[in-house]
Amino acid sequence: MNDKKNNIILEEYENEFTYEKSKTKLNIEFNRIAFIFFIFLVVSIIYSIQLLHLGSLKKKIEPKTLITKKNYRADIIDRNGNYLIKSVSSIDIGISPIEIIDKKKLLVNLKLIFPNKDYEEIEKNFDKNKFFKFEKNISLINYEKIMSLGDKAIRPEEKLTRVYPQKNLFSHIIGQIDDDNNGISGIEKSFDNELKVTNEALKLTVDTDIQFLIREELLRFKEIFRAKGSAAILMDVNNGAIISMVSIPDFNLNERKTITDVDYINRATKGVYEFGSVFKTFTIAAAFNENLVESNTEFLNLKKQIECNGFKIREYNDKMPTDLTVEEILIRSGNIGSVRIGQKIGEEKFRSFLKKIGVLGIIDFDIQEVGKPTPISWGKCKLATASYGHGITTTLLQIAKGYSIVTNGGYDINPTMIQKKIINKHLQKRILNVGVSDKINKILRKIVTNEEGTAELANVKGYEVGGKTGTAQISKKGRYTRDKINTFAAVFPSEKPRYTLVVMMDEPKTNSEYIYHYRDDKQPIKGTPYNTAGWTSVEVAGKIIERIGPILATKYIEN
Amino acid sequence: MKKIIFVIIFLLILATSLVKNSTKELEDKIFMVRENIRPLKSELGDTLLEYNYLSSPEKLTQYQAQYFEKNLIKIDITKIKKLIEKNEKIKVDDLIKKMNDER
Repeated sequence: MNDKKNNIILEEYENEFTYEKSKTKLNIEFNRIAFIFFIFLVVSIIYSIQLLHLGSLKKKIEPKTLITKKNYRADIIDRNGNYLIKSVSSIDIGISPIEIIDKKKLLVNLKLIFPNKDYEEIEKNFDKNKFFKFEKNISLINYEKIMSLGDKAIRPEEKLTRVYPQKNLFSHIIGQIDDDNNGISGIEKSFDNELKVTNEALKLTVDTDIQFLIREELLRFKEIFRAKGSAAILMDVNNGAIISMVSIPDFNLNERKTITDVDYINRATKGVYEFGSVFKTFTIAAAFNENLVESNTEFLNLKKQIECNGFKIREYNDKMPTDLTVEEILIRSGNIGSVRIGQKIGEEKFRSFLKKIGVLGIIDFDIQEVGKPTPISWGKCKLATASYGHGITTTLLQIAKGYSIVTNGGYDINPTMIQKKIINKHLQKRILNVGVSDKINKILRKIVTNEEGTAELANVKGYEVGGKTGTAQISKKGRYTRDKINTFAAVFPSEKPRYTLVVMMDEPKTNSEYIYHYRDDKQPIKGTPYNTAGWTSVEVAGKIIERIGPILATKYIEN
Repeated sequence: MKKIIFVIIFLLILATSLVKNSTKELEDKIFMVRENIRPLKSELGDTLLEYNYLSSPEKLTQYQAQYFEKNLIKIDITKIKKLIEKNEKIKVDDLIKKMNDER
């Protein structure tokens, strides 16, 4: 017997295998997707933070588009929102003769729609076979009629037209554009780019009502004094905002004439003149600023006539006393006294003062039509004549600026016609010493109220007008003529000036029929006694203040 | 953890699409309002131009001469008073204060 034994050995099974997730393609893709989503999450968080941040910011003004729009030009409005210029679309009709199917038929149809045109000329244009403008600015009815003819040769062309509801009133200020929508003068020229891109109307500082009243008075007195022209500027002394600027003669902008006559020059900004005694205020202000004199400082033994390099300087009035205080020199408009004060200041300081108040050099202004004062070769004689306003030229705008600075407390101001460019004097530098304006304002007031003063006719009740007159002979071909530039620079109310009004008359004549009415108990005077500013420009300024005063006092009382 | 991330991502996607959808609706509304404003603005501009012309100082002076020549009178501005309300009391004051040299 075969005794076999099968031994079964049981051993504990030890296997090294451990379960692991197989690293397949699927796993790799999952990581990638997770990574992408993670990036997405980060981006989303950044975006959300950005959104929250933007949401917390105050609303900003929308950035202006810089793309010039075709056939677009922004409107221009005055300080009260009245339109000075409004853009409207208009349609011009042109004809391309090559494309005409039946010339005779087209002519008959055109005659029916536009019976008043010269069809002989049009027939000639047809024969030339060149494109030509048939009718400009056609009405909507005629447009529909002409287009219903269905002729391919008729080409409508949309165009921009500027409408000026105030006609002549702002002709020198706003200027004109050409047929290609480019500004060629005035605000239209200097703000050409802005007007083409801005979405909002350009707001000016001028007031239509006041402009109208001033223009009306200037026109009236241009006739009375048979002046060649005249100009006036009304400016806010505290910020240089020009409320009105008128130059006569002017023109109707709607007529779109090309003005070549030099008589139509903008006398307020472009015309450069000798203004005479209005400069004496600057001489005395300069002396006050340098602490060289006081209002009661006396100048004794003033001669009636002095000579400088053969040039005689004399008083305009033989009755001028020989002893005068500084105040009296300005009130009586003494030439010799002003020369003495000018000499006391000295050439350098006087020149620097005039430069500081913006009277010398070209003014930086909103329109390009500004005059260039004649360069001066300074010397002893020039200082003497300049101190009483002779041999020194500037523009009326610069006179207005100078008077604003010397009366507003001595703060620099920039004359402007653009509302957003206004800077109040308190944000500007004080360029004159404290107290100069107070002294000047008191004297300016006395020039209007005192009998010795030269501006009694401007003493309008309620407005406390102060000011200085200037009568200057016009120099033509290097020689002084009998023609004059009569100016009156007024400030009111003089205790705390708010407005400067400068009125200038170019070559006025006396009028024997005009009756002067004083505003006190004095008897009226018939006829202009002298061709001086005191009898011409002062009268105009008085009438202007009388008319615009109520508007200024009521409309701008809260400002 | 992964589930949470998935849920967050899903919610973000959902929220984004919802916000975008509502923004689009708003944009459409804004566009429509703007389009409606455009002709109104143009109409307002034309009406204002007409008003400015008809109420221009030149026209008003003409109307005054035509209709109210005798009815409108000039008042001395120094005689105009202004009423100032303060602490429930009304004070009467001159519109323009008379200056020392005018009294």
